[in-house]
Amino acid sequence: MSTTTRRPAGQSGKGAAGKAMPAATAGRNATAKSRQGQRWLAWIFLAPTILGMGLFTLIPIVASVVLAFFRWDIISAPTFVGFDNFSEVVQDPTVRVSFLNTILFVVVAVALQLGLALALAIMVQEKMPSWLRVFFRSAFFFPLILSAASVSIFMRYLFNEQFGVVNWFLSLVGIPAVPWLTTPGGSAAVVILVYVWQNFGFSFLLFIGGLASIPVETYEAAAIDGATGWRKHLHVTLPLLSPTTLVASVMAIISALQVFDQPYVLTRGGPGDSTRTAVMVIFESAFQRLEFGQASAIGVLLTLIIMAITAAQFRLSKRFVFYQ
Amino acid sequence: MTGATNGHLREITRRTALGALGAGIIGATVASWPRLSGTDIPGRGDNSLSIAIMGTAADAAARQRAIDAFTRLHPEIKVKVQAIQAVDWKDFFTKILTMVAAGTPPDVVYVATEGAQLFAEKLAHPLDEYVRRDAADMAEFFDDVHPSLVEAFMYKGSLYQLPMDWNAANMYYNTTAFAQAGLERPADDWTHVDFRNSLAAMRKARTSDFTPYYWTNRLFGGVVPWLYANDTSFLKETRSAGGEWLWDGFYANDPSRGLRSGGYQWLEPNANDDRVFESFDYLRGLVKDGLGVRPEEGGGSSLVGLFASNRIGTTPAGGYWVQGLHEAGMGESDFDVQFFPRWKTQRHQFGTAGYAIMKTAKDKDAAWEWIKFSSSREAMELIFPNPITTPARRSMVNEQLYAGKGPAHWKVFYDTLDRFPTSGPIPAPPQQAAVETALMKNVSLAVSGDERQLKQALASMQRDLELALRRQS
Repeated sequence: MSTTTRRPAGQSGKGAAGKAMPAATAGRNATAKSRQGQRWLAWIFLAPTILGMGLFTLIPIVASVVLAFFRWDIISAPTFVGFDNFSEVVQDPTVRVSFLNTILFVVVAVALQLGLALALAIMVQEKMPSWLRVFFRSAFFFPLILSAASVSIFMRYLFNEQFGVVNWFLSLVGIPAVPWLTTPGGSAAVVILVYVWQNFGFSFLLFIGGLASIPVETYEAAAIDGATGWRKHLHVTLPLLSPTTLVASVMAIISALQVFDQPYVLTRGGPGDSTRTAVMVIFESAFQRLEFGQASAIGVLLTLIIMAITAAQFRLSKRFVFYQ
Repeated sequence: MTGATNGHLREITRRTALGALGAGIIGATVASWPRLSGTDIPGRGDNSLSIAIMGTAADAAARQRAIDAFTRLHPEIKVKVQAIQAVDWKDFFTKILTMVAAGTPPDVVYVATEGAQLFAEKLAHPLDEYVRRDAADMAEFFDDVHPSLVEAFMYKGSLYQLPMDWNAANMYYNTTAFAQAGLERPADDWTHVDFRNSLAAMRKARTSDFTPYYWTNRLFGGVVPWLYANDTSFLKETRSAGGEWLWDGFYANDPSRGLRSGGYQWLEPNANDDRVFESFDYLRGLVKDGLGVRPEEGGGSSLVGLFASNRIGTTPAGGYWVQGLHEAGMGESDFDVQFFPRWKTQRHQFGTAGYAIMKTAKDKDAAWEWIKFSSSREAMELIFPNPITTPARRSMVNEQLYAGKGPAHWKVFYDTLDRFPTSGPIPAPPQQAAVETALMKNVSLAVSGDERQLKQALASMQRDLELALRRQS
C-alpha cells in the first residue's frame, strides 16, 4: 500500500490563485511550485547526510582504495607499490587466521544473537503482562547503549581466572576455575558471549516490531486450522517474520564482521591469534605498525567480503522471504 | 488565544518554523565556530611550546607548578602541556603519530623506552649539540643519573632524550603472605630455585583465593626479566659504535664506562635460543604447578587491588607501585621489594622515560630549555613529589620520598642499577609495536600447554619476529 498522501486537486493554491487565472491552471502551477519547493526542502534536509557521507564515508573509502596501492607510514612520502600490499597480506598467516576467526565469529555470534533475540521477543510478546514487557524491552536494549570498551573492561574482571566472579560462582557448584581469557577456546567463548550479550537487544527490538505487525487474524486462522504452540510459530511467525529476519541478519552480519572493541580490550587478540579479528589486524597494521597501505589492502578485502555476503543474502532472500 | 494577537501565532507555518530552525542552527554554528574549529584551545595558533605527555588532565595540571617555575626563568617561552590519555605507551605513540598525520604534532613528547628508538629513527631531533653546548650545566645532571639510563636513550651514537624517571622489574612480595608461609625476607642474591621454593611454600600455606606469583603478558615485567636473568632475550642484543663524546665527557670516571656504547640495537630474533626455551619452560612449570598464573594480555591495572587485598604473593613491578599500594591501603610494612631472582646472571630489565624534541618543533632552542629545566632537581621534585615512579636522579630516591609509605627496602630501586650495571632496557627497536605484538601473542600459548606446545609457540614467535623486524627496516 502506498504511503504517499496527495492533496485533493484545487486545495493546493490556498484559494488566492483563482482570482487571476482559471482555477485548474492556477492549481497546476501552484502544485508544481509546491513540488519544486518540496524538492528544495528535501535537498536541504538531505544535505547534512550527503555531506557527512561524502566527507566521512565516500572520500575515506576512495582514499583507502588508493592507499592500498602505496606504502605509507604517515611520516615519509607514500611510494607506489602496485599490488604488493595485497599479495603480502594474503600471504600473511596472521591476516589469514584473523579472517578465518572473523568468519567463525560471525557464524556463531550471529546465530546466537538472532536465535536469542527471536526467542526472547516471542516470549516477551506472548507471555508477559505489558508492564513487564516494557521492562524487558529496556533491559535487553540497555547493553547496546553502553560503550563496548567499558563493558569489555568490566568483563575482564568478571572472567578473571583467579579472582573473577564467574569462576567464584562455578566454584560454588564444584566446578574448577576455568581459564576463560588465557586459553584459545575460553577467550573465543568469552568474546562471543560478551558481544552477543551486548548486541542482541537491537535484533530483539526489530523482532518485537516484526511480531507486532503480524495480524492477529492470521494466528486465529492458523488456530482454527489446528496450529498451536511451536507449529504456530513454525508455520506463521517465522515465515511472516522473514522480512524482519532478513534485515536483522544483514545488520547483524555486517556488524559482526567489523567486531573490534570486545576482542581488543578483552584479549588483545590472544592467546596466540585465537581472537584476532580482521578489523583488529587493520588497526594494528595502520596505527601500531604504521603500514597504512597494508591496512588499506586488508580493509578493501574486508569490504569486498561484506559486499559479497550482503549481496548473497539479498539474492537468497528472494527464495526465503515472504511479504504479505 | 486572546484577540490581542489576532490569532497570528496560530498561523506560524511549517515553512516558517523550519526557516527559524535553520536560522537557529546557522546562528549556533557561527557562535560555536571557535569550538568546532578548535581555535579556542589554549595555546593553539600561538607560538607556545606544546608538550605532550601520557596522562590525564590532572597529570597536566600537576605539571603546572613546574611550568610556573619554568616561566619565571624563561618568561619569553610560553608552554602548554597536552595530556593524552592512553592505555599504554603503544597507544600513546599511536595518538602522537595521528597528531603528526593531522599536521598538529607537539613540539616535545614524553617518550618511554618502548618508543625511544621509533622516535629516534623517525621523529626526534638529537640532543647532542645542546648537551655539548651546555656541558657545564649538564655535568651535575649526569653526575646524579646512572649511565645505564642515559645509554637507553642513545641511538646510533646520538642522544635523543634525558631520562627523567625509570623503573626496573624488581620483585614485590607481600609480607603477610610470606609470614603465613614461614618465609623470611629473601636474600639479595636469591635464585630462581629459591623463588620457586618460596612460591611453593606460599601455595601450601594458602590453598585458595590466593596466587603465589601473578604476572601479566606485556613487554615490561612479563617474560623479559626472566630472559634477562637467564642471560638471554627474545631478540639478539647488540650495541652501536659511537657515543664517546658523551661517555668521555660526562662519565669518564664511572666504573661502568667500559660497558657503554652508542646505543642498543635489536636486529635479529632470538626466540629459538636454548635459554629462551629454558626460561619459558620454567614459567610453564610455575603455571602447571599452580604457583603462577597463565598471564593475561594487556596491562596489570587490577593488580594493585589484588595485591593490596593479600591475594597475590609476589609480582614484578617498579617503584611506580609504591604510591598505588599506599593509596590502596597497604601499610609500609605490608609489602617489601627485592632484586629480581638470579639465574645465570642477575641482570635486570628496566624502562625509562624522558622528553624528546620533535624534528618538526617550531623552536628547538626553547624545547631544549624546557628539557634542561625539567632535568633540574628543582623541576623533578615538583613533578615527582610522590613515589609514583623512580626518579632518574639518584639523590632523589631517598628516605623522604618513601617516608610513611614503604617499602622498608626502598634502596633496592636505585641499587638495582648500581649493583647490576649491565641491566638493560626493554628490547624496543623502532619496530617495537610489531615486535611487542609478536612476543605477546605467543607467550600465553608457550606457558599454558605441554612441551610440544611450548616449542611450537617459540617457533611461531621466531617467525613473527623475523617478519616484524623486516618491516620498516
